[in-house]
Amino acid sequence: MAIRANPKLIEELEPYGAEDVMKCYHCGNCSAVCPFSADPYVFPRKPMRYLQMGLEEKLEGQLDPWLCYYCGECSDQCPRDAEPGETMMSLRRWLTSRYDWTGISRLFYRSWRWELLAILLVAVITAVAFTLFGMSQGSLSDYDGPNAFLPSSAIHIFDWVLAAVLLAFLLSNAARMWWFTMGRDKDLPKSPGSYISSAWMLPAHFLTQMRYSQCEHKGPWVTHLALMLSYCVMLVLIMFFLAEMASGPSVDWRVHVLGYLATAGLVVSSILFLRNRMKKSAAQYRHSHESDWIFLSLILAVALTGILQHILHRTGLDAAANVTYIVHLALVVPMLALEVPFSKWSHLAYRPLAIYLAQVRATALARARRGDGKQQPSAEQAAPLRTA
Amino acid sequence: MPEPRTGVFICNCGTNIAKVVDCDAVAEAAAGMPGVVVARSYKYMCSNPGQEMIAQEIGDHDLERVVVAACSPRMHEPTFRRAVETAGLNPYLVEMANIREQCSWVHDDGARATEKAEDLVRAAVMRVAYHEPLERLSVDMCPNTLVIGGGIAGLTAALELAGAGKLVYLVERQPGLGGNVARVDLTAPYLDSAPDILTDRITRVVEHPDITVMTNSELVRLDGFVGNFTATLAVNGNDGPGEERRVDVGSVIVCTGYREFDASRATHLGYGKHPNVITSFEFEHMLRQGRIETKEGRLPQYVAIVHCVGSRSAEFHGYCSRVCCMTALKYAHEVKSALPGSYVSDVYVDMHAFGKGCEDFYRRSAEVKTLFLMYGKGEHPVVRRADPGDDCEMLITVDEQLSGETIELPADLIILMVGMEPREDAESVTRLVNISQDKDGWFIESHPKLDPVATTTDGVYIAGACQSPKDIPDSVAQARAAAARILGKIAKGKLEIDAMFAEIDQDRCSGCRVCNEICPYSAIEFDAAEHRSHVISALCKACGACVATCPSAAIKARHFTDEQIFAEIAGVLG
Repeated sequence: MAIRANPKLIEELEPYGAEDVMKCYHCGNCSAVCPFSADPYVFPRKPMRYLQMGLEEKLEGQLDPWLCYYCGECSDQCPRDAEPGETMMSLRRWLTSRYDWTGISRLFYRSWRWELLAILLVAVITAVAFTLFGMSQGSLSDYDGPNAFLPSSAIHIFDWVLAAVLLAFLLSNAARMWWFTMGRDKDLPKSPGSYISSAWMLPAHFLTQMRYSQCEHKGPWVTHLALMLSYCVMLVLIMFFLAEMASGPSVDWRVHVLGYLATAGLVVSSILFLRNRMKKSAAQYRHSHESDWIFLSLILAVALTGILQHILHRTGLDAAANVTYIVHLALVVPMLALEVPFSKWSHLAYRPLAIYLAQVRATALARARRGDGKQQPSAEQAAPLRTA
Repeated sequence: MPEPRTGVFICNCGTNIAKVVDCDAVAEAAAGMPGVVVARSYKYMCSNPGQEMIAQEIGDHDLERVVVAACSPRMHEPTFRRAVETAGLNPYLVEMANIREQCSWVHDDGARATEKAEDLVRAAVMRVAYHEPLERLSVDMCPNTLVIGGGIAGLTAALELAGAGKLVYLVERQPGLGGNVARVDLTAPYLDSAPDILTDRITRVVEHPDITVMTNSELVRLDGFVGNFTATLAVNGNDGPGEERRVDVGSVIVCTGYREFDASRATHLGYGKHPNVITSFEFEHMLRQGRIETKEGRLPQYVAIVHCVGSRSAEFHGYCSRVCCMTALKYAHEVKSALPGSYVSDVYVDMHAFGKGCEDFYRRSAEVKTLFLMYGKGEHPVVRRADPGDDCEMLITVDEQLSGETIELPADLIILMVGMEPREDAESVTRLVNISQDKDGWFIESHPKLDPVATTTDGVYIAGACQSPKDIPDSVAQARAAAARILGKIAKGKLEIDAMFAEIDQDRCSGCRVCNEICPYSAIEFDAAEHRSHVISALCKACGACVATCPSAAIKARHFTDEQIFAEIAGVLG
């Protein structure tokens, strides 16, 4: 059955950053140089071809873009300057907008003005709401204690409600991702066992990003891992130890030693990434989408306001600390509420999920082949997620 | 048997011959052969001392014949002919025995190789005894040239020759000059205007006092030989009874060009069935009119260009037509600049971008977002009408090679890049000017690499796409090359003709005309009044076909007489 090509699709992808893909003439250097490209996931060449031809459904069903960490080797080797690495990045943005059923992601990726406006709106609402809440039940001059302006118990409840909402968005989007890449593929053999046997990959890749470490240059992996682990540590502290974090002015070292480490990790790694993007120091930093700048700037601003708030509270300037807390929340809430389900931060879920699903898919295919008795699966077919 | 005073010279060729053949032994054996008065072996016979030795021995021993046993005559026969000539001997009284390529290089057994070398030398000694002194002929070179075809090649050749002050007759069958280039809009890869290139040349040709342009005219007969042709032309033959005109020319350049492949033969592409499937030439016409539109007058949203229509296929022509790839890229540029909102797809087999500036042009075509789709050699895209509700007129099914997917491509206008093929009258042209065609029908050059514009008929040259598909720069280069070859001959004034040719004994000729038909060079004329055939020595290549055919044994090939050949056979058999 012939598939309808759509020459217009490329125009749809351009706002996501895929500006040079039509220059590609399929020499295959990009896929040859990529440490992860292996059958059945041959990239960047194959997704680039689908994109050029406008095979929309094929593209939607691809896990390949998530298997790429954008080390930039492919773009450096490309004889046509078709920017395969950036094309993969653009496809990840586009796929994010496809997985998102609300359409908000599409709006953000196609217009940074909308994204900024939404962030601003959420920030203002957050600031006003928390200010009114603080004034209604506490005193601006108290940071903690019975009269605290923003008592940790209340914030704690808010955090959990927000987390539940975000998780709902993220899970529904992830379900759509599963449907596009696995569920609706009639040719894919059903193999529930492989979902279980590969389940370990989900937390393992989430926490270690072990595939990323197989790229030739280790620097980006280290920085990325530092950012991710710092974020996770901070998340755990806030979700489970907010009361200990907020107490003071003495420093509770049981939680704060981790807090300081995580804060340092966030500040240093976000500054490093911002600097690399400003200097365009390597292929993966040459083309920055507006969503990249917004995301990194938000992280840095959240970390800095958090530090300031902490210092003010420890030095006894509670009123100033409370004002900073409001500003901090006005940044944290849009960062979480908008970036996690609808923009760049969503890859924290999609990438490990894709690695997991890719393994499930490959195992299912290999088992089906073995079941046919026609062909024994090769080592590569059984474990197609090639390691360098 | 005559036994003229003969000298035999055995070359060692360094060690090339001497390492297998015992050259001194051969010299010794030669000394005892009939008529041999001196036999010598030497390291390098072709060197200056070697040649001087031969000349010296001719004087010292009053030699009448010389045998040089060395390499192939193709290598050094001219050298030794010149050497004996300096000593006052007729150059045709030297004979070579090939004891290198045909002996030392192909044998290991020294003793038997030496024996064979002696046999070869004996054959040469016995043959040379029957050699006769021959004189080379010299004929006048008529400085006028006939150019057949008024396309870009013919116009260029005419201007080149006339620019050197020579008379040119330019015959063109069509009413106007310009050929196929006159049907083109812009040229690839620099997007120069074809009309600009052409108009200037046509004006200069028409106004040139030394060029006689005859349109609506054609060559009907060509008599004579190199330097001395008489061309019979039917002038204005297409408008009623033509006037016959005879012109004397020394050379002929055939620039008859090509015709385009008939796209309706490739039925799967729907040419003739779907009105918006058009050929590249029809699209050129559209471009020259200045508006790209469908037959219904709408601006096409999707334009598809299909390559290799009629070319590189087992079904039609196996060869590549060379210009279509870059012309297709040119279309992509022209469509994109005329209709910026349109989507251009290029459905190709392989992209041949070999010419100067072409790879850059290919890159730029990708940069203007042309979609390149590759179909397999031996396969073909299939065009069908789109379904109601589609946003396009037609759909092309392509087995796309780079993705491995079978896709349907939307199209409102489909341009077929029709290949080049020999003109329908190419065969009659070959008979008129006595040249030949290859398996595809293109005219054959004398040597594909070293003599690309000459033919096997002296004085007849080919230039442009009649020789094989080519673009404007290559056609112009060939036209100028042919003109240069002719000007070189004109500059010499006289043409020297090899002394080896066939002669017909007029007393023995029965006028049966068998030889007239057999001669591959049309070198034998029949004199109806005398009822005898005779050889035009300037055209004869001494192939010997007529000699073997003549039922009256009336034909003799000079330098290849029966006595010479029988003596050689006797010699080699010892």
